[in-house]
Amino acid sequence: MSEYLFEMRQIVKEFSGVRALNGIDLAVRPGECVGLCGENGAGKSTLMKVLSGVYPYGTWEGEILFDGKPLRAHSVRDSEDAGIVIIHQELMLVPQLSVAENIFLGNEIRKFGGVMDYDAMYAKAEALLARLKLKDVNVAARVSNYGGGYQQLFEIAKALAKNARLLILDEPSSSLTSSETDTLLSIIEDLKKDGVACVYISHKLEEVARVCDTVTVIRDGKHIVTKPMSEMTTHSIITAMVGREIENLFPKMEHDVGEVIFEARHVTCWDVSNPNRKRVDDISFEVRRGEIVGIAGLVGAGRTELVSAIFGAYPGRYEAEVVLEGKLMKIRSPEQAIKAGLSLVPEDRKRQGIVPMLGVGDNITLATLAQYAHAGQIDRQAELQTVDAEIKRLRVKTAGPELAIAGLSGGNQQKAVLIKMLLPQPKVLILDEPTRGVDVGSKYDIYKLMFELAAKGVAIIMVSSEMPEVLGVSDRVLVVGEGKLQGNFPNVGLTQEQVLAAAISHAAESPAHAA
Amino acid sequence: MQSQQIQQLFVRYKILALLIAVAIIWIFFHIKTDSAFITPGNLSNLFRQMSITGMLACGMVFVIIAGEIDLSVGSQLGLLGGVVALLTVNHGWGTWPAIGAVLVLGLLIGAFNGFVVTKMRVPSFIVGLGGMLAFRGVVLYITGSSTIAPAPDDLISLGQGFVPPSISRWIGALIFLGMAVLTARRRVRRAKLGLQQGALWIDIARVLAIGLLIFGFVRILNDANGIPIPVMILLGLLAVFTYVSTQTVFGRHIYAVGGNMEATRLSGVNVARVKLVVFALMGLMCAFAGIITVARTGSGSPSAGTGGELDAISACFIGGTSMRGGSGTVYGALIGALVMASLDSGMQLMDVDNSWQMIIKGVILALAVWVDVLSGSNRG
Repeated sequence: MSEYLFEMRQIVKEFSGVRALNGIDLAVRPGECVGLCGENGAGKSTLMKVLSGVYPYGTWEGEILFDGKPLRAHSVRDSEDAGIVIIHQELMLVPQLSVAENIFLGNEIRKFGGVMDYDAMYAKAEALLARLKLKDVNVAARVSNYGGGYQQLFEIAKALAKNARLLILDEPSSSLTSSETDTLLSIIEDLKKDGVACVYISHKLEEVARVCDTVTVIRDGKHIVTKPMSEMTTHSIITAMVGREIENLFPKMEHDVGEVIFEARHVTCWDVSNPNRKRVDDISFEVRRGEIVGIAGLVGAGRTELVSAIFGAYPGRYEAEVVLEGKLMKIRSPEQAIKAGLSLVPEDRKRQGIVPMLGVGDNITLATLAQYAHAGQIDRQAELQTVDAEIKRLRVKTAGPELAIAGLSGGNQQKAVLIKMLLPQPKVLILDEPTRGVDVGSKYDIYKLMFELAAKGVAIIMVSSEMPEVLGVSDRVLVVGEGKLQGNFPNVGLTQEQVLAAAISHAAESPAHAA
Repeated sequence: MQSQQIQQLFVRYKILALLIAVAIIWIFFHIKTDSAFITPGNLSNLFRQMSITGMLACGMVFVIIAGEIDLSVGSQLGLLGGVVALLTVNHGWGTWPAIGAVLVLGLLIGAFNGFVVTKMRVPSFIVGLGGMLAFRGVVLYITGSSTIAPAPDDLISLGQGFVPPSISRWIGALIFLGMAVLTARRRVRRAKLGLQQGALWIDIARVLAIGLLIFGFVRILNDANGIPIPVMILLGLLAVFTYVSTQTVFGRHIYAVGGNMEATRLSGVNVARVKLVVFALMGLMCAFAGIITVARTGSGSPSAGTGGELDAISACFIGGTSMRGGSGTVYGALIGALVMASLDSGMQLMDVDNSWQMIIKGVILALAVWVDVLSGSNRG
């Protein structure tokens, strides 16, 4: 009998002749947490799809053993029946259904004739949530009443309801605040004690270091290393992921900070569904030429609302005065904002950044298409020339500019979205979570680009939930909490604790509620 | 590089598959009707029949790519046809002023629909459903529920006339030359800018295949008096709509809006304006279709165009337009319209009962989309 609960051996998966996975091994013992690390595009998602039966048995080569027996899943259902449950990066809850209904979705407890046994489901849901140390949840209430942190835990409860023995968590903390992430990690530690095995996929290596016993690194579809965490450091993991030494995550470049070119005055946003509640409450700030200003705060503090109002994109009622180079601008739509000299790279790449079916090139020129046109007719060749040049400059990995952007990895999609919003040559660049779900190598490229732009005199506003990023990149840090400006610190000797203290001290409610 | 070529071929293959489907349908009916189907006379009729659905499909394919739907086009057609008949027959307007007025009216009706969808934010499905009833009601009201006839001769000649064979031949030759020149110019341009070139043989084969199609098309129709005028108009619309969808900023924006409206809005595109213009073009196409309907039948019937929206929507889906918006082609939609028209014409020739005609068309629509879904999932 093998010591492993689960083993993948020499997995090979090809897409029309291209090897996405080239002989990957992965093994997990009962009660062990294995960290799976790799840059975007390294093959992690493909591997997870093989594992979970999204790619049915027979469409890949190699062998999967579960409990010492070969596992031949033909569908997700098969692998779930065996006890393998994936929790995806995007939450897969139905917001209109109740907490209990979501936990038992597809797995309902029934009375005779297909009638749902609500009493049993509520009781069991409460028991499951108690196991996750969630006590103040009304399981009959809609999921949409609870914040992102709670929802992530509901997903885990859902997995446990399926008797998961192997839990796969794909970037579970990407939309969580740091305290929520803390709760999540301690719950994983508890589950490990109960014998549940985990595969933890994350770019946040501090989390991997804390919760994982073993680390497996893959790169370009190949297995690079598997070692106990005790023998690895975050630095050695990064080196293995990237394949080269990255001395400094933040390639800081000297850049001069000039006069004030941008001012936002009295930005106030009202909640879309609750018009009495202010999401952003009278925030004013200014940014200088060539300055990088980081906006920190908890998830739900109002940072995204603040920048979308400045960009004319906030969906609800809002007020904002934007002054650019001393002139009061009239901005009520993204169209006017871009014309005025602002660009925004939105937070949610899939929903707001890319047009998935269009080609990489078509996406890149979407904001500036008129520049390549004479009397409405696009000069395709001129357009392609720009696209080719930009793809090379920012090292976007794609087989061709006409291929649909949906097929690119997250980091490369993000680069394409960045290029799209840089082509209008903005004076002020707003980046909302610019490196969310982006691999280390692409992160490095994006930071480098930011410093280059600042050196050219572009004013940059960066909203970020990653504290090291805020401190590593910004010249000045604004802290937003409860919709108000809670701090404005020059980034000289600034520490994470100071920023966090400013962000939290005013938050009366629990962070999960604010989300 | 190799996978790219395969993908390119796949995209081509989709058109080929549709054309093969048309060929199979034609041969089937030809055999079943004792060689009465593939004759110049019948095909000429067939193309003339499809031209009205084809006009609606031209507008509808944009609407669907933009992620919307318009269920009112059949009633719009009836209304606009009714107005042209009323103006010429009852009010003594000249044919051309009446046509001009109706084209403008169509544009306005479409723009109104677009306004309700984009500015008042009523879902287009509901706007269409309401319009279907309301526009039909207006036709019944203004015509007093009776047929308006007879339409003037110059209007009728638009629907029933032909482009003389000698001119047809020249038009065919010109289209072929135009295609060849455009292809050559693109290759030269790309070479000059040092951009990647597609394989030469693919371009040559494509131009030759298109030439062959044009030649056959003109040859057959010339044996039956030349290209019918409605078909000529449809070809012109095909050229314009294809140009708009592939070569213009507005065209690219239609695909972007349908593919991801939020991302497109955040890229500074005025998405409401794009949709409004798309609906206005739909109204314009309804005007074209309405005028040709009156011209073909020689009268304005208050029930004209009933069910036209379903034919147009079916044509788009058979032609590979995505139901979720964001992808589709004009020529695909027109081949879809050809499939529908071929089924109609063939089954009428075979004297198939009307009930069966409806059942078969319904099944074919579902089948065609199913095949499309299958081929789509294979690519993932």
